Amino acid sequence: MNPFQLVLKQMRQRALSTWLTLLAVLLGSALAVAVLILQRESRALFTQSDFGYDLIVGSKGSPMQLVLNTTYHVDKSPGNIRYIVYEAIRNNRFQVKHAIPYAVGDQYKGLRVAGTTAALFGFDEFTGQPPAGYDDKGKLLPGYLPASTRAEDRPADAKVAADVFEIRFGKKFTLAQGRVFHPRKFEAVIGSEVTDRTGLKMGDTFKVTHDTGGSSKLDEHDEEWTVVGVLDKTFTAEDRVIYIPLPTFFAIPKHEEAMDVQTAMQTGEDLSKFDKSKKPATTTTAPATTQSAPATAPAAPPPAHAHDHKSDPKPTTRPTTTQATAAVHKPDEDDEEDGHDHSHHGHSHGGMKYPYLINRDGTIDLRLPKDRWMLSAILVRTRGGAANMGLTYQLANSPSGAMGVNPASVMREFFTTFLGPTTLLLLVIAVMVAVTAAVSILVSIYNAVSARQREIAIMRALGATRGKVLSLICLEAGVIGAVGGFLGLLLGHFVARVLSAVFEARMGVQLDWLSTSWHEWVYLGSIIVLSVLAGLVPGLKAYRTPVATNLVAA
Amino acid sequence: MSLAIRNLAKRFVAPDGSAVPVIDVPSLDIPAGQHVALIGSSGSGKTTLLHLIAGIVTPDAGTITFDLPAAGSTDITALSEAQRDVFRGRHLGYIFQTHHLLGGFTALENVLLGMSFTNRKADPAWAKHLLTEVGLADRLDYKPGKLSVGQQQRVAVARALANRPSLVLADEPTGALDPTNAQQVLELIRKLCKEVGASLLLVSHDLAIARQLETVLTLSDINRASKPLPAPALAPG
Repeated sequence: MNPFQLVLKQMRQRALSTWLTLLAVLLGSALAVAVLILQRESRALFTQSDFGYDLIVGSKGSPMQLVLNTTYHVDKSPGNIRYIVYEAIRNNRFQVKHAIPYAVGDQYKGLRVAGTTAALFGFDEFTGQPPAGYDDKGKLLPGYLPASTRAEDRPADAKVAADVFEIRFGKKFTLAQGRVFHPRKFEAVIGSEVTDRTGLKMGDTFKVTHDTGGSSKLDEHDEEWTVVGVLDKTFTAEDRVIYIPLPTFFAIPKHEEAMDVQTAMQTGEDLSKFDKSKKPATTTTAPATTQSAPATAPAAPPPAHAHDHKSDPKPTTRPTTTQATAAVHKPDEDDEEDGHDHSHHGHSHGGMKYPYLINRDGTIDLRLPKDRWMLSAILVRTRGGAANMGLTYQLANSPSGAMGVNPASVMREFFTTFLGPTTLLLLVIAVMVAVTAAVSILVSIYNAVSARQREIAIMRALGATRGKVLSLICLEAGVIGAVGGFLGLLLGHFVARVLSAVFEARMGVQLDWLSTSWHEWVYLGSIIVLSVLAGLVPGLKAYRTPVATNLVAA
Repeated sequence: MSLAIRNLAKRFVAPDGSAVPVIDVPSLDIPAGQHVALIGSSGSGKTTLLHLIAGIVTPDAGTITFDLPAAGSTDITALSEAQRDVFRGRHLGYIFQTHHLLGGFTALENVLLGMSFTNRKADPAWAKHLLTEVGLADRLDYKPGKLSVGQQQRVAVARALANRPSLVLADEPTGALDPTNAQQVLELIRKLCKEVGASLLLVSHDLAIARQLETVLTLSDINRASKPLPAPALAPG
């Protein structure tokens, strides 16, 4: 019998004790491995620097909240900034390559609905057409190289596609089905996981509800969007987002009112006109006049969607977009744009004003002037470090109420501040559990050795040296440590899979729970070494077992 | 293999701190291949003498020299403990009064266990042959708890012969058996010792058993520290 057979035989002899000890090691190792994976993946996730944008512009406040809200779609938007900030940045071609507006605050079945432009997907912002080198799915045409290809990597005769926005460095959105939304229609492009999570699919229509930031008071808006495109999977939080054209986001009457409140606050206007308790809802026409841009910005804009839905007057009846499109044109009394081919106009229903007109082709004419548009954030790809720093500085010192933050550095700070210490603490606990497991090995085998003095004496009488006996005991401890540790490694990865599902449910990102890192193998090695060392104590007891005494006593 | 003991002495410390001589053997020789019975009463130092010869305990004085045809002569008292363990495993077979089998191991595994500490390749076929020879061919996978006392002792006999030893030390091997089983076990020991060409030193207090061997020695005759046996014990049976 070789030493392994001997050890396995003896382990089987006291199966219950062995299994319990193995379980202790297994659980300790599983905990440690799960923590190691969590630490590795959260570090990779939150300290990633491959964002396709190097600046997020949002309302002044918490940079972390802005980045978490914009990049991972968690937490509430810290506040809104005015659309003119976006226009100014977009037109700043000296410092900016790409600028993508984001307006958030609504949801569909728990998934974020974001108003944006087709430029997010690499299409023309105004026409929705694919740029040079890309097909209508946003995929690179054969023979083209992406614009992000380094000059030294481009063959001399290579055709370079247009420089488009990428969500991650070298990775842009592409469509798996359908097309990108029309810039002025109630259409939507959905992330790859939206269908699985909500049942929405190509051709479906849906209404969005106001996201009350965790409150159960959800308020459904009247507008109805049609799904016209499904994105390919990006393995980011974007996979769970429903994208709608920015104008249709602003078209939601309640958004209009919220934006009016915020605009008024930013311009220092009297807010009493928004107090419905003093001024019952009455018919008001959509503002047709353009308000002047603020001369100075207030210190802190209010949070997004600061309006009170409970007090909002409910529209009584309203034709859906489809109905409106098909409806016979009957100019309303308050139609201020006679002569247009509108099937539905901004008109009043029970005191509510819809700030848009629907044309027969389904496009809308937003009757809300741009200086009343508010955005949650702007994703900006600058032209480099100096441009980034310059723009950040300019924003910080402008009266716009906006700030610019580098998402990569903010996430690094987030990890260092919160996740790093937390996972370190978990790791310390895991190591302590592992030490406890090693002690359980020690106690288990020590007790076994005490009960096996006679057997050890017999083996010694049969020719086993003290060293052999010691090595057998240590081997037994090592086998328990190795088997328990390895099973713990497997269980740890299973736990990580569960955590990955939780991460995915909350943030839309998955952990790479399957791959192993050298940390895990070092941990497994440490467990085995620790186990063997734990085996030394009972091993030395066995080593000192007096043969003659135990043979005679037996 | 022949065995030569010279001026062997072993004392134990009594509870009062005094040294009590247990073994004081001026000379003892066992020629190669000879089967020797050593009789003595309980407490006369029989087991201690076997432990000394096996190298399990060390003497206070004297030599225990094995003359091995292949390896020459070896004084076990001059070896280190580890060397004695290895020597014991390779060249000596030990049969205890109580079988001392490992309860979690089958009959076959107990025999194989005897081969595990010699740095030689285990020989399952030989182990099965030995168990067949002791009448347990159909009990190979039985654990000791499922065997009778006589069968357990047969397994112990097979285990002692597992490494084809040069000398088999048998400490009251039939002491726990009824006369019938005792006789069968003794015959098996002798048969297997002859098969492997091993010498046999069997200690017993049972004269009927001892008389069946070629040479019968009385411990009190060779051990000056041992009390003489009462006369009836030595009377012809």
